[in-house]
Amino acid sequence: MSDKTVKRLTRILSMLPWVIANPGSTVTEVQTRFGYTRRELVADLELVFVCGLPGYGPGDLMEAYIEDDEVIVDMADYFSRPLRLNPPEALTLLASGMALTSTGQAPPALERAVGKLAAVVAPAVDDALFVDLAGAEPALLDLFRTAAREHVVVDLTYTALASGATTKRLVEPWTVFSSLGNWYVSGFCRNAAADRVFRIDRVREAHVTDETFDPPADVPPPEVRYTPSEDDVRAVIRLGPTARWVAEYFPVEALSPDVVVFSASDPAVAARLLLRLGNSAELLEGDEVRQRLDEHRSLILRRYGVDGTL
Amino acid sequence: MKNVIERLLNLLAFLLTAGRPVTAEDIRETVAGYDRDNDVAFHRMFERDKDLLRSMGIPLTLTFTDVWEVEQGYVVPPRDYELPDPGLTDEERAALWLAAQVVRLGGQSTGADAMFKLGGAPMPAAGEPLAADLGLSADDLAIIFSAVAEHRVLRFGYRDKPREIKPYGLIHRHGHWYVVGEAGGEPRAFRVDRGDGFAAGQEPESFERPAGFDIKTSIPTAPWEAGDEDVVAVVRFDANVAWWADRQLPAGASRVTEADGGLVAHLPVANTGAFIGWMIGFVDEAEIIGPPELRSQLVELVRG
Repeated sequence: MSDKTVKRLTRILSMLPWVIANPGSTVTEVQTRFGYTRRELVADLELVFVCGLPGYGPGDLMEAYIEDDEVIVDMADYFSRPLRLNPPEALTLLASGMALTSTGQAPPALERAVGKLAAVVAPAVDDALFVDLAGAEPALLDLFRTAAREHVVVDLTYTALASGATTKRLVEPWTVFSSLGNWYVSGFCRNAAADRVFRIDRVREAHVTDETFDPPADVPPPEVRYTPSEDDVRAVIRLGPTARWVAEYFPVEALSPDVVVFSASDPAVAARLLLRLGNSAELLEGDEVRQRLDEHRSLILRRYGVDGTL
Repeated sequence: MKNVIERLLNLLAFLLTAGRPVTAEDIRETVAGYDRDNDVAFHRMFERDKDLLRSMGIPLTLTFTDVWEVEQGYVVPPRDYELPDPGLTDEERAALWLAAQVVRLGGQSTGADAMFKLGGAPMPAAGEPLAADLGLSADDLAIIFSAVAEHRVLRFGYRDKPREIKPYGLIHRHGHWYVVGEAGGEPRAFRVDRGDGFAAGQEPESFERPAGFDIKTSIPTAPWEAGDEDVVAVVRFDANVAWWADRQLPAGASRVTEADGGLVAHLPVANTGAFIGWMIGFVDEAEIIGPPELRSQLVELVRG
């Protein structure tokens, strides 16, 4: 109830200043700008019409009505400025604008808008707020975004993060999205004949084809799905004091404060982590991971010209 | 709802034009829509209205009605109510509206309400396939942001300890929000999702942000840039991984592509541990060429 009231009152207190500042606004323009149906607009104008200043006689009430397809508001000068943005609104708008600007995907108008908005809502935050969503090649982002918008099939070369395997795929891109610091493209992979999510920074090359596709009526909401599976490789790892961050950084299952179960689709992921941790972690269980760990260790030591059997 | 909105419009119109603090009794007697006969009903209604206006960011401030300081009345100062005109063009509104729809905080995009206040959304932004999730909900962030903007001290709990910092800035990088500031005389960065109970101090302007502070450089873009070591590493990446290394190397790294497609880079390293961790990710498709100490540090770690 109160949420609906707030929404309706906010819209009225936004629409009035606009009409006051832009005399001659048409019904259609006000409807489009403030998301009104004609019926809602008429209802709000009728409501305003019976409100005003104490006395509440003809000279005290606001005038608000439609005449010849124009929206007329008069006697409402005290509502000639819109409401201030509340702090979450101001932050979300600024952060949204900055986020898009940082990707190189924003028109110059957005940068100007963020500057103008910051100047009125938070003049003291120059150099104090920043949203960095960089991290994918702007050219690739742009290619996928355009292809998704125009429903064009993309031919891409992808190197999986876990296994390092490189494959070529034909993908029907649906959504380009950023989550937890990485950019992804979701879509239908024709080679896998299934929905897939690709991390854009692992796309080595991408080309648009001259083939288009019909997107599904309901594109699944974009998300990075980490679904633990029966096929996952498990490693039980004891973490020394300098390796405790692993328990906070990765989605592990803690068996005790210093023993965790690390699951991944590929043993190489756990093996690389263990190599990084060196003596500060110990693999307690996980044969596949141990095997891969030994392989990686010898490969690295050979590369550095050191005998791995020491 | 119609009656509530009429009453609130009348109340706001009265408060914005009164030009003086008005007592609850004035409001009850003057503003259309309030119950004049029943004390309990009036107070309940008035409390609800104040809460609702406050939730919209319109605080009714209590202040003494005269110098004798006997009676208190309500005012809505214009600076608390009115949005100064940012002078947006429709093109800029459209760009902002698109960004607002693309980006989510705490799973939600900016509501249309905020755009309405800015003069509405001149065109629908349908069919945009772009989406970005900035994680946390805007509520904690807004408290921090206000503290940063108003130079208020910020208090919160972090790893089970109470903290008090001078917040200089707020940044989202690598998928996380950080508040950066001074804690106990030292520059520090705190991950916002690991803190709780964020509260801004009562006093605005209680510190000055150091001249030259730039939030963009407060959190390193690569993990090996965070530290106080000072080493220039020379590394070689084989052709198969050169594209991937190239994307992650900082802008300041020098790069030379060799005949076989391999990449040799020189780059400054401030945290050798983090850097070696990154190099191990390439297994045997990359190698630290120098300096020798960095090479042996990696070998020692891998040997175990």
